[in-house]
Amino acid sequence: MALSLDERERAFREVYAAHFDAILGFALRRVDRPEDAGDVTADTFLVAWRRLAHAPQGPDLRPWLYGVARRVLANHRRGERRRSALGDRLRRELSTHVPDLSDDVVQRADVIDAMRRLSARDQEVLELHLWEGLESREIAEVLGLATAVVRPRLSRARTRLRELLDNDPSPPGHHLSDRPAPLTAELTRKER
Amino acid sequence: MIPKLTDDAISRLPLESGRAELLEEIMSTVAPDRQTEPLANPAPRRTRWVAPLAAAAVVAGLAGGTLWWQQHRPDPDGSRHAAASLGLSQGRGIVLDAPGWQVDSLTGDGLRFHNGGADLEINSYDAKDYDSYVVDREHIVDPPAPGEPITVLGRPAQMWAYSADDHTAIREVEDGHWLEVRGSGMDRAAYLDLLGRLRVVSEHVFEASLPDSYVTENDRQSTAEEILGKIQEVSGAGFPDGTAAPSFAQGDAKDRYQFGAEVVGAYTCAWLEAFDNAKTHQQAEQAAEAARVLGTSRQWPILQQMDVDGDYPEVVWDYADQVVAGQVPQGYREGLGCP
Repeated sequence: MALSLDERERAFREVYAAHFDAILGFALRRVDRPEDAGDVTADTFLVAWRRLAHAPQGPDLRPWLYGVARRVLANHRRGERRRSALGDRLRRELSTHVPDLSDDVVQRADVIDAMRRLSARDQEVLELHLWEGLESREIAEVLGLATAVVRPRLSRARTRLRELLDNDPSPPGHHLSDRPAPLTAELTRKER
Repeated sequence: MIPKLTDDAISRLPLESGRAELLEEIMSTVAPDRQTEPLANPAPRRTRWVAPLAAAAVVAGLAGGTLWWQQHRPDPDGSRHAAASLGLSQGRGIVLDAPGWQVDSLTGDGLRFHNGGADLEINSYDAKDYDSYVVDREHIVDPPAPGEPITVLGRPAQMWAYSADDHTAIREVEDGHWLEVRGSGMDRAAYLDLLGRLRVVSEHVFEASLPDSYVTENDRQSTAEEILGKIQEVSGAGFPDGTAAPSFAQGDAKDRYQFGAEVVGAYTCAWLEAFDNAKTHQQAEQAAEAARVLGTSRQWPILQQMDVDGDYPEVVWDYADQVVAGQVPQGYREGLGCP
C-alpha cells in the first residue's frame, strides 16, 4: 500500500525540521556570501525531498545530508548551478541577518587561517570533524570513502594542524555552543 | 568572510519566514521518487545490500565492460535466452556491457555504475513491495499514470521520466524479486540504450567478470595471506612473537585498496604495538626488530600498489619513520584503527 501524499510530507517535514540548522550551518561555514548558503540549503533539501527513500535513517541521515550538501556546494563553486528557483525569502533573510552575528563562532580566526595552509583534502576532513563534529566513520559517509581511508587522513590532518598551531600558546576562542567541539578540547581528548 | 557560526547560533537567526517558505516550495515540486516507507525500516538499505546479492538477486558490475565482454562473451543466443528465462534466479548475475562505465559502489543505495556525469543505479526489492512501488511511481506524472511499457533484461517493465535526463524503470517480479533501474545524467535514448546493455550471466561468469580490484568474500582469506606473504618476503618476518595473525575471512572491504588497508593495517598495528611495548619495558632487542621490520615498509608490495590510489601508505610510512627514529608515533592506534 503506497503512502499518501500527506504521509510523505509529514516524513519530509520531520527531516527538514531536524536538520535545517545543520545543513544551513554547513553551507554558511563554506560560502563567501550568506545568500549563497540559502541556495545550497534549498538545493540540498530539494534533493532530499526527491530522494527521500534513499536517505538512511537515524544517525546516518545527517552525514547523508552533508554528503548531498557537499555535492551541491561543489556544483555551486564550479558555477554549474544557476541560482536556485527556491528560497528567495531565505536568501533575503540571510543577507540581512548573518553579518550581524559574529560571536557564536566554531573556531578562532587563527585556527581557520592555519587550516587554510593544509591541503584541500586535509582541510575538508578537518572541517567536517571540527565544524560539524563528525568522527571518522561519519566523515567517510559524507565523502563516500572507506573509514579505513578517512581515519588516517584525519589523524594526519590534525597532527599537521597542531604543528601549525604549536607556536600559539593562547587558549581557544569563545565557543558558545558545545557543537562542534572546541579544537583544543578535541585535540586533548583524542591525542593526549 | 562570514563568521563560522555554530549550528546553535544559526538556530537563533530570525529566518522563520524564509525557512517555512522554502519548505512549502520544495514540497510543491514533483513528488519524491520513493514512497517514505523505507524510512520506517529499522536498517538503512546500504547495510543490507550484500545480503540480497548473495541470496538471490545477484547484481554485479563489470568495469571496462566491453573489453571483458568481447573476450568472455558466451554464445549470444544462449545468453539472451538465459536472461529471458532465468532473470535473477539463484546463482545469476548482471553485468553492464558498456564502454566507459565503472562500478561506483556496491554499498550505498545498492549497485551503482558511473560514467562521467551519468549514473545507473540498480536496486532489488522483495515481491511484496512491487505493487506499492508501482503506485508510487505512477505519481511521478500528473495525473498519475502507468509507466511507458519497455523491456528490461527480457522482462516487461514500466518507465517514467523525472526529467529529460532522469528516468526510472520498474521490472516485473521474477523469482520473488523485482528490480528498479534508475538512470541520471542521460537522455531517454541513452537510458534505453544502456538498459539494453545489461546482461544476465551465470555466477561463474559473474565472478570472472569482477575487476581485479574487487575482493570477493570467498577470496578474502587467501588474498590476505597472499598480501602478507609478499610483505614477509621483504620484511623477513610474519607477525611479532606472541601475536597471532588475525582472520580476514569476514569483513566489509570490497575493493583491493580498502582490503589492503585492512590487512596491512593489522600487520603494521601488530609491529607498532610490539615496538611500543618493547620501549615501555626497555627491551632493546625487540624494539630493534620492530624498527627493522617497519623500516622495510616502503618496499611492501601492497603499499606500493595502494600508493597510486590514496594516501594510506604515506601514513604507514610516516609512522615507520618515527619508529626507525626511535619514537613511538603519537596516536597511531587511532590513526590506523588498531584494535
